Amino acid sequence: MPTSESSPDGNDPGLREQIAENQRTIDRLNRDLARKSNDVRIIQQISSEITSTLDLDEVLAVVLRAMERVLGFQHSMVLLQDLAEAKLRVCASSGFDPSGVGAEVALGHGVLGVVAERKRMMRVGNVGASVAYFAGIRARMEAAGEIAPGGAVPALPGLAKAQSQLALPLLVKDRLVGVLAVESPKANAFDELDEILLTIVANQAATAIDNARTYQMVEKLGRLKRFFSPQLAELIVTGGADDPLKTHRRDVTVVFLDLRGFTAFAETAEPEEVMSVLREYHAEMGRLILEHEGTLERFTGDGMMIFFNDPTPVSDPAKRALRMALAMRERVTPLCERWRKRGHELDLGIGIAQGYATIGAIGFEGRWDYGAIGTVTNLAARLCGEAKPSQILVTRRVASDAEDLVETEPVGPLTLKGLAKPVPAFNVVRLKS
Amino acid sequence: MGILPDEIKPAMQGVIPSHIVTCSRDGIPNASVISQVYYVDPDHVALSHQFFNKTTSNVRENPHAVACITHPETLETWDLELEYDHSETTGPVFDTMDMQIEAIASMTGMKGIFKLRSADIYRVVSVIKNADERIQP
Repeated sequence: MPTSESSPDGNDPGLREQIAENQRTIDRLNRDLARKSNDVRIIQQISSEITSTLDLDEVLAVVLRAMERVLGFQHSMVLLQDLAEAKLRVCASSGFDPSGVGAEVALGHGVLGVVAERKRMMRVGNVGASVAYFAGIRARMEAAGEIAPGGAVPALPGLAKAQSQLALPLLVKDRLVGVLAVESPKANAFDELDEILLTIVANQAATAIDNARTYQMVEKLGRLKRFFSPQLAELIVTGGADDPLKTHRRDVTVVFLDLRGFTAFAETAEPEEVMSVLREYHAEMGRLILEHEGTLERFTGDGMMIFFNDPTPVSDPAKRALRMALAMRERVTPLCERWRKRGHELDLGIGIAQGYATIGAIGFEGRWDYGAIGTVTNLAARLCGEAKPSQILVTRRVASDAEDLVETEPVGPLTLKGLAKPVPAFNVVRLKS
Repeated sequence: MGILPDEIKPAMQGVIPSHIVTCSRDGIPNASVISQVYYVDPDHVALSHQFFNKTTSNVRENPHAVACITHPETLETWDLELEYDHSETTGPVFDTMDMQIEAIASMTGMKGIFKLRSADIYRVVSVIKNADERIQP
């Protein structure tokens, strides 16, 4: 039934009320429109800021700054998906005490975890009330013996007394990058317009975060590829292998090699000639290192340090090291022949030792190297220094580990710099047939 | 233009529990408290069906129902005259309700126990605001 009768003449109060109502509607629409176009401007500004950098921390800072200062959300956080495990980690937050950065959320747990799992936005205006309601039912069911008493539920990052949560999945072509969430202690704090605004911010943020992460990965990949095989470098950045740059201790076989006569050669020969010899030598040695799955720790001029059994554990590291060393000696012989014809007296010397070393990143911000520290590296370097042309000097342990592989001859205890007692050493003669 | 005004939406966020009244085929009435009446579109609302109870069985034999909901800030009330229409076990309405229930259930150790069986969709027949202003379809 209509609320009032209308008549064709314009003086009827019902019609006047209708006109006034229409005007109110038009005013409201105009106000909405003004707010919307203002919001669009803000969003455009945020978008260009978000996409203007490839620094992940900077992207996150811009997003959170915009959430608070521009959009007026007091409590916001960005969680990123852990690439290796099925969980989210708080990477940046604003308006929380404590910040919660570093806190983890399992996929499927709580509002944030369910949003990540379903890749779908969720807006809840009554989190606290719902939790209390569910907990009440649980207590009743437990008391009635319908369900077993449950253990404690893991705590979630965020406000202890959040009533409203709006969480959006950060998606790049349907692939989850993370979750953007805002919270409020007030019930029903967020509405459909907030959903629309945050959806736009989330889309921009997802792309920017993904780009920054890719860039970070490519950079890290480049750094890792200096030391490790491309396959291993990729495994490390995707989280499939432990980061070898974290300090750890391991039993390794260390190989040092250098060219006897190189210093004299470098002093007298033209730099171009030195470079050409080095290039040839490095190329050949590099190929053999990869072939035997060794890790090139560093090279300095003609010297190289290689280890086995880190970052990837290998079977028989000592034997691998010896096979590589023998292959190197064999390969360098014709090179030396050629160099000799050009008037350069160069020859290879190798030292090998085995033992525990502390391995990880050494250096300072912006210039990290992967390195090993321990007596074992020192020992290998000193043995290399003592080796005569074409000699491969090894410690007793290496010799005994590989006694069924190679023939060795003792060269007597050697007094080595930095080592208190003389060290028994062995020269590797040849592979056993 | 549907029958539900925009201003009613905050009353459908479950901040203040709602009441639902149904009646069996034999004419026995039942009133119960529910945590939330969900807004579907200007002509429809949804109730969560998690456990079998009087409400779910009554509307399946007699579709008429009345829900009373409250705006959490203004405390204005609305009486919604409803007619049970159908149940959904997939689709956007179901997903929205299901993920909300799953999220809260996981926070109270009730995951897998509290589960949405279906989203029961009701057509809104009429709306009475503050039990005196009648809004016509």
